[in-house]
Amino acid sequence: MATDHRRDFIRRSLATLAGSAAFTALPAKLALAQNARPMLRGAGIDYRALVCIYLYGGNDCFNMIVPRDAGYAAYQATRTNLAVAQNALHALSPVQAPIGGGQFGMHPEMRGIADLFNAQRAAIVANVGPLVRPVNKTTYQQPGTLLPPQLFSHSDQSVVWQTPRADTTARTGWGGRLADIFFSSNANPTLSMNVSLAGENVFQAGQTVLPYFMSSSGVERIGMIETGAANCADGGQGWNRRRCLTFNALQNATYAHPFQRAYANRMRATRETTRMVDVALATVPRNDPVFQPFWTAFGLAWNATNPPELPDLGEQLLMIARVIRARDALQMSRQLFFAGIGGFDTHDNQLTDHGPLLRQISAGLKGFYDVLAQPSMALTNQVTAFTASEFGRTLSNNGDGTDHGWGGHHIVVGGSVIGGRIYGRMPNLSGNSQTNPDDAGWGQIIPTLSVDQYAATLATWFGLGATDRAAIFPNLQHMTGSMLSIPGPDLGFMQAV
Amino acid sequence: MGRRHRAAAALALLLAAPAALAQDAIFADGFDNRPEGPFTRAEAQRFLTQATFGPTLAEIDRLLAMGYNAWLDEQFVATTSRQLPFLDQLIQADIAANRPIDVWQDKRQEIWWRNVLSGNDQLRQRVAYALSQILVVSDQNGALEGNPTTLAHWHDMLASGAFGSYRTLLENVTLHPSMGHYLSMFGNRKPDAALNIRPDENYAREITQLFSVGLVMLNADGTPVDGNPAQAGVQPVPTYNQDTIRGFAHVFTGWKYSTCIPPNTTSADPNNNLNWWNWEYCSSQAQSVSGDQDWRLHEGWRTPLRPWGEGNTVRGEVYYAHEGTKQLLNYPGVSLPNGVLPSSSGRTAGSRARHDLGLALDNVFNHPNVGPFIARQLIQRLVSSNPSPDYIGRVAAAFADDNGAAAGGTRGNLRAVVRAVLMDPEARNLAQVPANGGKLREPLLRVSALWRALDARSRDGRIREGWPEVYGAQAVLRSPTVFNFYLPTYALPGEIANAGLVSPEFQITTDTYITRLTNELGGKVYWAWIGNTGLDSWDPVQVDLSRDLALADQPAALLDRYNLLFLGGTMSAGMRSTLLAHLNDIAPNSWEGWRRERVQDALWLILTSPEYVVER
Repeated sequence: MATDHRRDFIRRSLATLAGSAAFTALPAKLALAQNARPMLRGAGIDYRALVCIYLYGGNDCFNMIVPRDAGYAAYQATRTNLAVAQNALHALSPVQAPIGGGQFGMHPEMRGIADLFNAQRAAIVANVGPLVRPVNKTTYQQPGTLLPPQLFSHSDQSVVWQTPRADTTARTGWGGRLADIFFSSNANPTLSMNVSLAGENVFQAGQTVLPYFMSSSGVERIGMIETGAANCADGGQGWNRRRCLTFNALQNATYAHPFQRAYANRMRATRETTRMVDVALATVPRNDPVFQPFWTAFGLAWNATNPPELPDLGEQLLMIARVIRARDALQMSRQLFFAGIGGFDTHDNQLTDHGPLLRQISAGLKGFYDVLAQPSMALTNQVTAFTASEFGRTLSNNGDGTDHGWGGHHIVVGGSVIGGRIYGRMPNLSGNSQTNPDDAGWGQIIPTLSVDQYAATLATWFGLGATDRAAIFPNLQHMTGSMLSIPGPDLGFMQAV
Repeated sequence: MGRRHRAAAALALLLAAPAALAQDAIFADGFDNRPEGPFTRAEAQRFLTQATFGPTLAEIDRLLAMGYNAWLDEQFVATTSRQLPFLDQLIQADIAANRPIDVWQDKRQEIWWRNVLSGNDQLRQRVAYALSQILVVSDQNGALEGNPTTLAHWHDMLASGAFGSYRTLLENVTLHPSMGHYLSMFGNRKPDAALNIRPDENYAREITQLFSVGLVMLNADGTPVDGNPAQAGVQPVPTYNQDTIRGFAHVFTGWKYSTCIPPNTTSADPNNNLNWWNWEYCSSQAQSVSGDQDWRLHEGWRTPLRPWGEGNTVRGEVYYAHEGTKQLLNYPGVSLPNGVLPSSSGRTAGSRARHDLGLALDNVFNHPNVGPFIARQLIQRLVSSNPSPDYIGRVAAAFADDNGAAAGGTRGNLRAVVRAVLMDPEARNLAQVPANGGKLREPLLRVSALWRALDARSRDGRIREGWPEVYGAQAVLRSPTVFNFYLPTYALPGEIANAGLVSPEFQITTDTYITRLTNELGGKVYWAWIGNTGLDSWDPVQVDLSRDLALADQPAALLDRYNLLFLGGTMSAGMRSTLLAHLNDIAPNSWEGWRRERVQDALWLILTSPEYVVER
């Protein structure tokens, strides 16, 4: 019903009508900046990308990864009517047991991730969360212990997860700060190193680098002025050229108000970048058979003329795969992508609502990995995808859902992942909040790994050196000691490309 | 400057205005009777940008003649333009015609557009729109997406309460079935140790974090309280902790549709005849309605939630509502000792849940944060992203007491708050607006401003604009999460963040949406105009270019008119000369559409210009 109306609207939208001009002029060559710093060895050969999959709302990872041995009884007693059936779990067969042992299975909708895990192409990082200093139940309850501000609040923990600066209110993300350092590695000075398919986010915001935002349906140009080549130099369409030149003159004027400057800057950057991305994407169409594994993973029939629409996260990852495939044309050698889906705030209807979301993660990442594994891509070792979410949920149950928690499990996928392993220690799942040593007091699980460690491990793989790492993750130096399941700056789940 | 002098100055301005302006001018009597202004049409335009969905030439002149206070007084009592009757009418028409009921969320958007474009209660609708971005529910929710009528009822509640008491509004919001489903307070039940179930914390968390007090203690001017002045920097003081959230979660238990069948009262055995299924599967359809009624007409979706068992003096609400003590907000001057709500078990059964709720909402409403917390956000929606602490303090003072400096008034009177927001010197006097004052215009307000200024309409009077989030990343009651389309604290990285400013609307001004909105405004100017034969049978809202086509051969006059309508006369000399050269460059009779091209180019280039999109 509503969705159909929406499609009608998009098809008939004014913008589509007004902007239906053909885009024929291609920049002969994407310009190199005169002051571009020395490149890495060249796009395509030396390529590395990180893909952040953000799960908005706080994923209930305690139903995503479930004990399948004797530990199931405690889980079932805690989760009661929310428990996932033991016999429906996809068995995980790790090459190395997690700290503290135990056998686990993935949620019934996550066949794809279970397969990647068992093929050692995916790893699970157990009970990660924001920390200022390592804490346990005893120190957590002591006054004066340094804790992240506003635990259990969506907006705040979401920011802390992405910065990860649990000790400050900083709003630059570790991906943004990474890009501040690596941006000059890319030969292309126009397209941001950070590309978001899911809108504004903290992760990709740096001091100097801002992300480029696109949608999973691609990029659009401004129809009333961009019917021709760059810089209004269209062939003969005087009316359009005049409007284009005046538009530019107004955008390029000097403005007194910082908001006016910011608006004009974004408009200018958008137009430059969009033209470039539009041209590059045309060379890697959506219906290229190389992308067929996405449809396979989602159990949908593919056809060469117009493959059916994938679920939201699937379309986002497909567009990321297209941009990666176009990396030579775009002259990118280092990229950070951001995708995201919402709906994880399962206070109610959890049993109905959670499964389809997990299915999107699983099928989406499986399709993404398999595309990267295609012979004409051969990029599995160069691209690593990882999940993030503001918190895990409470072990305890509010009747038909769960509330805001703290620590949670995360998934890392890629050929450079030392996969088939669960890193860290799985928490105690006892429903007795008073006696469960991992329970902060109300069903929220105290993290035994910090986001700093998780992020720094990924950033190190990306190429971040020890000096810069200390600057980007200043709290990393405190992540030591026995309260963490793995101490130190690197959790060991990544190997060099 | 005395009143007469100001009036004379205003007159001089008007007389000095170009011919087109002078033609439209109305010299009203009574300048002396409205010392508050406006004194110029430019001032009137600026006020209407903040207080309505867009200035029109007629409204500018009417306001200039009335003065701000008379205009506000008129608007405060203007009859609410409601949404629900329109949807009910469409539903009944479909039923009468024996066809499937084709009433979905796009029809709700239609009546919103109709009301904001042509309703006479402009200020009420504008404040309701602001409130809808603070007290958030959204049709992007499984329980609500198929139910446009309950959301229409919700919006009508916001609009009719826009100038009432914030305490009343908080209660109406809490008990509205839309909110009950959106933040899962509906059907929330008391703890059950055997099942390891404890109350849902969703609504408890958001009513405190988002609808009332926020996360940290505030001073009266909205700045954070410093918990330790001895230490460098501001050490924020949390307003509450997890015990508080648990306490409120326990308060919000036991509530269901008003239409539920209450528990049986006769049996002496408390576990017999409970008819728990009447709780679990209670219907939103009124029991008095026979047959299967369409859910969009259900009574339970348009009346406040009710405690299951209220009024039942034998059973009471004990099965699902918690009656023990609860930790609520604790703050200086809190009326409950230490913020603890005592057990209500001593009260008559069947009266406990509502009693507890009332005290809990009082506990929230009387927290000193509420005034500055709500003041900042209302200012952000109506006037400026970065109000000074003094401005917030003045509005918060109006929240605390609608009598102003003289004590003895009422707390939380939104009429006084809205007046304080709009009549503050920082809002009214352009000379007092800080250099970084103002805000980025919201996408929907850019569209509504165009349509109102150009008297836009479709041929059949319907408004087919059901999915504006496709181009604007916003639509009323359609935010992606309870955190609205943007956070009040969002700061665009770079110059804005480095200057310590916030810029909420920039959060949705991504590459994707800056392009789409620019294109959409192009479509609405270049395609959707009355008389365009290219539209064929398509009947969108169309701008009426006829009035301004008459000025197409006088580009300077055309620009003067648009400068007034859209920019309140603030267009820079550089922008004006660029546009003038552009319009003159479209030579008369160069093609048959030259007049229209001049008008359309002037419109679109202004509507997409940095000077316009940032209002001051």
